[in-house]
Amino acid sequence: MSEQIEQAIARKYDAGFVSEVESDTFAVGLDESVIRRISAMKNEPEWMLEWRLKAYRSWLKMDEPDWAHVDYPKIDFQSISYYSAPKSMKDKPKSLDEVDPELLRTYEKLGIPLHEQEMLAGVAVDAVFDSVSVVTTFRAKLEEAGVIFCPISEAIQKYPDLVKKYLGTVVPQRDNYFAALNSAVFTDGSFVYIPKGTRCPMELSTYFRINELNTGQFERTLIVAEEGSYVSYLEGCTAPQRDENQLHAAVVELVAMDDSEIKYSTVQNWYPGDENGKGGIYNFVTKRGLAETNAKISWTQVETGSAITWKYPSCILKGDNSVGEFYSVALTRGRQQADTGTKMIHMGKNTRSTIISKGISAGHSSNAYRGLVRMGPNADGARNFTECDSLLIGDKCGAHTFPYIESRNPSAIVEHEATTSKVSDDQLFLCRQRGLDPEKAVSMIVNGFCKEVFKELPMEFAVEAGKLLEISLEGSVG
Amino acid sequence: MMLSIKDLHASIDGKEILKGLNLDIKPGEVHAIMGPNGAGKSTLGYVLSGRDGYQADSGTAQFNGADLFDLEVEERAQAGLFLAFQYPVEIPGVSNMEFMKESVNAIREKRGDDPLSASDFLKKAKEACKQVDLPLAFLKRGVNEGFSGGEKKRNEIMQMILLEPKLCILDESDSGLDVDALQVVANGVNSQRDGKRSFIVVTHYQRLLDYIEPDYVHILADGKIVKSGDASLAKEVEKTGYAWLGAKAEEADA
Amino acid sequence: MSQWLADVIDRAGSVQDWLSPVRGEALATLQNQQWPGRRTEAWRYTSLHPFDALLAQPGSTSVQVDSREFAIEGLESLDLVFVNGELHTDIGSLSLPAGLSISALDQPTDNARSVAGQVFTQVKPERHLFGLVNDVLATSGVIIDIADGASVETPVRVINLVTDKVESHNRVLVRLGKQATATVIEHGSGDGASMNTAFAEYQLGYEARLEHYRFALHSADAIHIGGSHFQMGEKSRLNSTLVGYGSQLSRLDVDIHHAGEHAFAKFNNIYLLAENEHFDLHSTIEHAVPNGTTEENARGIVGDNAKAVFNGRIHIHPDAQKTLAELNNRNLLLSRRGQINTKPELEIYADDVQCAHGATVAEIDDEALYYMLSRGISRSQALVMLNFGFVQELIEQMPNKALRDWLQPKLKTRFEGMEVK
Repeated sequence: MSEQIEQAIARKYDAGFVSEVESDTFAVGLDESVIRRISAMKNEPEWMLEWRLKAYRSWLKMDEPDWAHVDYPKIDFQSISYYSAPKSMKDKPKSLDEVDPELLRTYEKLGIPLHEQEMLAGVAVDAVFDSVSVVTTFRAKLEEAGVIFCPISEAIQKYPDLVKKYLGTVVPQRDNYFAALNSAVFTDGSFVYIPKGTRCPMELSTYFRINELNTGQFERTLIVAEEGSYVSYLEGCTAPQRDENQLHAAVVELVAMDDSEIKYSTVQNWYPGDENGKGGIYNFVTKRGLAETNAKISWTQVETGSAITWKYPSCILKGDNSVGEFYSVALTRGRQQADTGTKMIHMGKNTRSTIISKGISAGHSSNAYRGLVRMGPNADGARNFTECDSLLIGDKCGAHTFPYIESRNPSAIVEHEATTSKVSDDQLFLCRQRGLDPEKAVSMIVNGFCKEVFKELPMEFAVEAGKLLEISLEGSVG
Repeated sequence: MMLSIKDLHASIDGKEILKGLNLDIKPGEVHAIMGPNGAGKSTLGYVLSGRDGYQADSGTAQFNGADLFDLEVEERAQAGLFLAFQYPVEIPGVSNMEFMKESVNAIREKRGDDPLSASDFLKKAKEACKQVDLPLAFLKRGVNEGFSGGEKKRNEIMQMILLEPKLCILDESDSGLDVDALQVVANGVNSQRDGKRSFIVVTHYQRLLDYIEPDYVHILADGKIVKSGDASLAKEVEKTGYAWLGAKAEEADA
Repeated sequence: MSQWLADVIDRAGSVQDWLSPVRGEALATLQNQQWPGRRTEAWRYTSLHPFDALLAQPGSTSVQVDSREFAIEGLESLDLVFVNGELHTDIGSLSLPAGLSISALDQPTDNARSVAGQVFTQVKPERHLFGLVNDVLATSGVIIDIADGASVETPVRVINLVTDKVESHNRVLVRLGKQATATVIEHGSGDGASMNTAFAEYQLGYEARLEHYRFALHSADAIHIGGSHFQMGEKSRLNSTLVGYGSQLSRLDVDIHHAGEHAFAKFNNIYLLAENEHFDLHSTIEHAVPNGTTEENARGIVGDNAKAVFNGRIHIHPDAQKTLAELNNRNLLLSRRGQINTKPELEIYADDVQCAHGATVAEIDDEALYYMLSRGISRSQALVMLNFGFVQELIEQMPNKALRDWLQPKLKTRFEGMEVK
């Protein structure tokens, strides 16, 4: 029966279309002048340019990391274009009516209508297309609540003090090779600020789309939740089906002040390449949150796309009683490679963290969990619980678990468990005996395996994520 | 004829288990298949339902006019064949409810019926639960996940009630049950006897047949039906055991 | 590259003996090695800076061996004693049971040469830097051969005592023939400012059974780096227990390679560290063929300023279907100046397998603790009692009673000396 399982996981990528949009795209290549041009395009103040240049100079001295369980040819950073924006975005459209309809159609096709009346009630969207933000919805409503939700390029102009205060504080410029690169060349992304004591009235969401050929996407997201505030944020991402690999190197920083809570969810569906491993996005992302006293940061991710995923959304549990959570589903098929996990850095007393990771490997793919749990000397009474489960589909794939546990505090407790299983012939037979075709059966079993993580997603998106797995698993069973 | 099996041979891992089995079942009939361990009772259910590794070597099985062996496992199920497993497998994380909803609708779709709405399905599922005395909470739990042996058996019957099959094969649905649980299972089965639906009740003991009265009883030994009769044959077996079948069956029993 | 390693490569050139052809290959590999730093994954938590100011020098010493240092009551074993790397036992004077032959590495019999041909550098993976050092420099050691079908009851114990500021290297090569049975104990101790590498390679034939112990009880200023490496033949069985104390620098690598199907390996290890001790254990289980089974349990207690490193890797190769492999690691940290770094790893390339690992630090049974507190036992005492219990469990699993009776009070005393802070 494993043959039927194999077939059931053969893939189809629904978001692989190309939008016919005229774009201004930089020639490929990277040097200081490119960074100056990006900064000029964004009309940035001098301090921002200096910040970028400093990052760039650091990056030049750094080495590309090679410790992850992934294998890819060396990236030629001079063959990438670092900026691309639809021509129509040159004169900032004042309202949705002025936005190029082709852009709106793109998002509609992806199931993200940008007209507020058509949208999911209660979700505000920032739509980022290549290097620029196309539109941010429901801004007026959010402003009423004092919430700032806008492209980061705009925040640099309008709220320079806030950006200056927090940018690079959670993920320093020199944190790692790709973070340094991002700090030098980031083009757009979202900025969120939730004032003290405010519960953000809507789900916030950013949808990233790479469209142009040979461009990299380097977005930067910064979320600041002031004391006692709450926000739930979701990002989604897709890209056209192309034979060339494209680089996506994002940085996300979360700042959760005392008693605040940030819930950050990702549904990642970048183009994964074809079944022979041709094309697809290299997704090298640095995401980290800083939790102050009693704050809570919760990462939930559903990773089904990208040729290579290199991503470790992390929590620095600095304040006493702060809480970090990481819920992850990573599905790899074809020739996809994923090395993903989290870091929970326990610094404060009675800090708590939970890690639930579900890896599903099929085809010739490789799927690794890599995590770090560190109990610092002052993390009295801290606790961590980690559960890593791998599901293997077929005997040509790999499933790996690399958990690092470092403890320096005698009262801290760390528990880690990892298991491996497969879709058993017995399970498949039972489902089929009840009339389900093998595709449906496998998708149902896989969804069941992921349930613990899906229930952490905001309701509107849990359904979408389940469907995404289903689409991903849909195949060509005759 | 609902099911017509002619000269069925089947082997597992190169060992012949069924050695020329013949069986005809008309709509509405209940056939009990008894026999010592190792006689091939469970194999029959697996071969008919199409489990991997249980292919027929030769012989035919017509199911409502279609050649059963031409169909995939799920196609046989969609055509109305239901197997209640002796040891149902667990599927963690997939709730009984969503599992059954998918299943019911896959079968309805095949029949050309519209899928059941969520509320209609829930209503039916609740009724079915009640019939086999399973708390409603079981609908939300993972398929067979952490169920006791008896709960798994009742869950199988619950599914049978929901799926409304044409032919039900009950594979040792009585094993490991106490008398009360046995009665619950039997009541569930009896409630589905409507004069059209047929049953193959596979059991080692006569006990279940006190509650589910068969029209015919067949003794399966060494891969063949060696004796057929009415319900009284089961009583006879209870008294005499299978020893009378001879040394060959004894060996199979060991 | 460190000066020390450059010297090793220099010195290796002057080692001329019957193993030279093989040593030459190892030297070629060694010459291409990087000196490990913080970014070398296998040495992430263990610094080699003690090599910058090494007190130990190559050479020999003349010391009197006090056999009480390693005497074990009730244990009747065939002892092979190395002192600062040199063999002090006259093998000719030992009366060996039938089927057992032992030969000094520098005076090999023809049979020993053939065993070495099969085992030397053939079982130990090439990646161990200090293993390569041992390959090129270890001129003292023993070759042990257990003939096909022989059942050797008497344990063979290789004692490795380090006392002085001497750098030494010794090697143990063991071959168990088809259906052979034996017990081998590697027993190391000493607190001198020595530098010693001790590597052992074991080849288990069809249905061979090996009971194995490695006691790495070096302490204080000793630097001890070594490994025990096993190649499992078809249907062979290994029951191994490793006990480590930690010293200025203690590092052990254990590899269990399932080369034949249906082999079974049980590997228990205990580490108990105090003061400024450092202990690093890396184990790698390679399931290269189907139907193998491995059970590994590692339990450690760390007090004072000590630092423990555990890295347990299970690697299931493609096609190694029906493998059962489990690793469980539990740790207790008693002091806020101590450190535990653990990394259980799974690397799996076959789907029909059952693999799991678990690791905990300082997980205590709240109910049991509450019960003890309610009976008036102090919290720290209750913790000691509860937590020594889990080390005790592994001691009890050791098949040899004399070793159990020797180790149990020894470890208990050591544990009770550690203060719960």
